[in-house]
Amino acid sequence: MGILTRATRNITRRKTRALLVIAALSLALAMLIILPPSITANQEAAQKVIDDLTADVEKQALKLNMVATQIDCYLPIVLSFDSNTRPILYPLMNVTDYAGLSLIPDVTAVIPILRQDQWAQDEYLYDVYGIPLDASFVDGFPSILPSNITAGRNLQAGDRGVVVLQEIVANQFGVDVGGTVNILGQNFKVVGIQGRGSYQGLNQYNVTAAYMSLEEAQTITNTTGQATTFHVFANSIDNVGAIANNIKAAYPSLRVELATSVINEALDLQSRANNRMQEVQNTMNQIQSTAIVEISLVVAAQGAIILLIMLYTVRERTREIGILKAIGASNTTILGQFMLEGVLLSLIAGIIGIAIGIVVASPLAYLLLPHLNQIGFDLILTEEGILTSVPPAVTITPQLILLGVGAALLLGALGSLYPAWRAARIRPAEAMRYE
Amino acid sequence: MNEVVLKIENLTKTYKLGKRDVQPLTDLNLEVKRGEFTAIMGPSGSGKTTLLNIIGCLDKPTSGTVLLDKVDVARLPESQLYKIRRDKIGFIFQNFNLLPYLNARENIELAMELAGKFKEQRKQRALKLLAMVGLSGREQHRPQRLSQGEQQRVAIARALANDPAIILADEPTGNLDKNSKQEIVKLLANLNQKQGATIIMVTHDEQIAAHAERMLFLNDGKIIK
Ligand SMILES: Nc1ncnc2c1ncn2[C@@H]1O[C@H](COP(=O)(O)OP(=O)(O)OP(=O)(O)O)[C@@H](O)[C@H]1O
Ligand SMILES: [Mg+2]
Repeated sequence: MGILTRATRNITRRKTRALLVIAALSLALAMLIILPPSITANQEAAQKVIDDLTADVEKQALKLNMVATQIDCYLPIVLSFDSNTRPILYPLMNVTDYAGLSLIPDVTAVIPILRQDQWAQDEYLYDVYGIPLDASFVDGFPSILPSNITAGRNLQAGDRGVVVLQEIVANQFGVDVGGTVNILGQNFKVVGIQGRGSYQGLNQYNVTAAYMSLEEAQTITNTTGQATTFHVFANSIDNVGAIANNIKAAYPSLRVELATSVINEALDLQSRANNRMQEVQNTMNQIQSTAIVEISLVVAAQGAIILLIMLYTVRERTREIGILKAIGASNTTILGQFMLEGVLLSLIAGIIGIAIGIVVASPLAYLLLPHLNQIGFDLILTEEGILTSVPPAVTITPQLILLGVGAALLLGALGSLYPAWRAARIRPAEAMRYE
Repeated sequence: MNEVVLKIENLTKTYKLGKRDVQPLTDLNLEVKRGEFTAIMGPSGSGKTTLLNIIGCLDKPTSGTVLLDKVDVARLPESQLYKIRRDKIGFIFQNFNLLPYLNARENIELAMELAGKFKEQRKQRALKLLAMVGLSGREQHRPQRLSQGEQQRVAIARALANDPAIILADEPTGNLDKNSKQEIVKLLANLNQKQGATIIMVTHDEQIAAHAERMLFLNDGKIIK
């Protein structure tokens, strides 16, 4: 029957009280070991959100910037009353007349495009669409090529004698990839098909066109040296406005069209991404400060519970302390006895608390801490999919179990130090008179 | 047999109670020889418990000397006093003061454990002492399962555990019925006669005091014959 037996018996003497105290302490300790991994888990979740956003924004920005830096220049539609009484959809321009476009500051490229509509008995058939297939244009400004190729391949730098047909046009000709088509007296090999509803340039509609090299388009439509649109590219979105103004000043007759919606979309994407990151950051800060407050509260509550219960115990057992001293217990023995009781109580609670922690870590973490609000991802994320709103899983590692045991021991010792010291100092004669 | 175990000289104890002082003991002198059975009587509030507490090192005198085995315990610090209480004093109280969460044997053993005695030795001696006070077979019983007389026997056994120089009994029969009173006081007288135990017993009861070989009265803070 050593000091440990005495401590255990004293704890079990008041079963209801011990149970209540252990319940309170173990809950506090469960919270204590759950909070640190919760912070880590939330941090990881937040980091993933930020990483995903960054990657997504980068990808989108690459696409959007390409189009957003594009300025289209063309002459307005002319209503002509020639023999066919048809409007001239694409008035022609001499490329050399517009050589000044490339001299405007911050312009990186001026790419002439030729578009000529083809008719048969007052019926519109398709456009011949010429793109300069220079390597520097094709590689540097891929947005000038037809998009949404659904079969075969796209045009490539240096291509001659080949076309990409929009699906409707291919159907009109009755050809598919690999077939040959005669356009205005010249044979072309069909290398690719463009799907319906595709983007082309700044607009989204069905461009029913036969895409080929600019030179061949000029040749077959007898428009050598001419173009119907210039794609002017700016070195950055920020300079698009200024360049457009310069173009209007230098060539008042030109229609200048900006990819306004695309620019807005790009800017909007950026600001939404920024807002979202800010939101994530705010949540992280909240999580951190809440966790710090909660850890402090838990530690304080833990210490206070032990302090109060041990003070109460010491008071209640004053007479007993007198007896112990009367039969020869030293102050150290008394101090040790009460410290041990406090530590033991805390340790039992610690073990139960760790068990609770292991079982309910994730739901408890969800209750204890604010979490990332998922609304807003969906607006940003496109192809990457939607992030889940499942709370981050929290696992209790051996280190956390050690932390729990350590905290229980330390708080038990700290909380019972003062009560035990009071117990040791009790004067035996007065203690014997107590009650 | 004539050796002096306890010699008290000019012992004064004053309690400060606000402005009014209470002085239960004034210039008290007392000598107790080894093997003596002394009874101290006196009216309630005359300072009997105060005197025993000072002899038993539970309380400190305001002035005077208390020589216990030639050591002036009035001058010893707490770091030494607990050893005197442990090794030289055996206390018996009116209300027994056993620890409720320990059984009879453990209550006795605790005194020996505090003195650093080994387990087997403790157990043997506790059983021997229980037999001596007539409680063989009751060693596993906690105080609440013992009668009051039996509890006091356990307390006596505990007081003897470390073979003290002096046994201090503060109204040991005060809470007991008539039969138990007689048994307990006979047990004490027996200890004194058969084993030469030195006993100072405080009591109200003249019939109980009559069992002692020496009877003293405490009045006005002094011992009178
Ligand atoms: N700690 C204390 N503080 C103040 N006064 C005290 C203290 N202890 C005892 N006294 C007073 O000292 C006086 C003697 O008390 P003591 O308990 O020694 O008397 P007693 O002779 O044992 O009485 P009883 O027969 O009732 O047990 C009393 O007046 C008591 O009120
Ligand atoms: Mg008294």
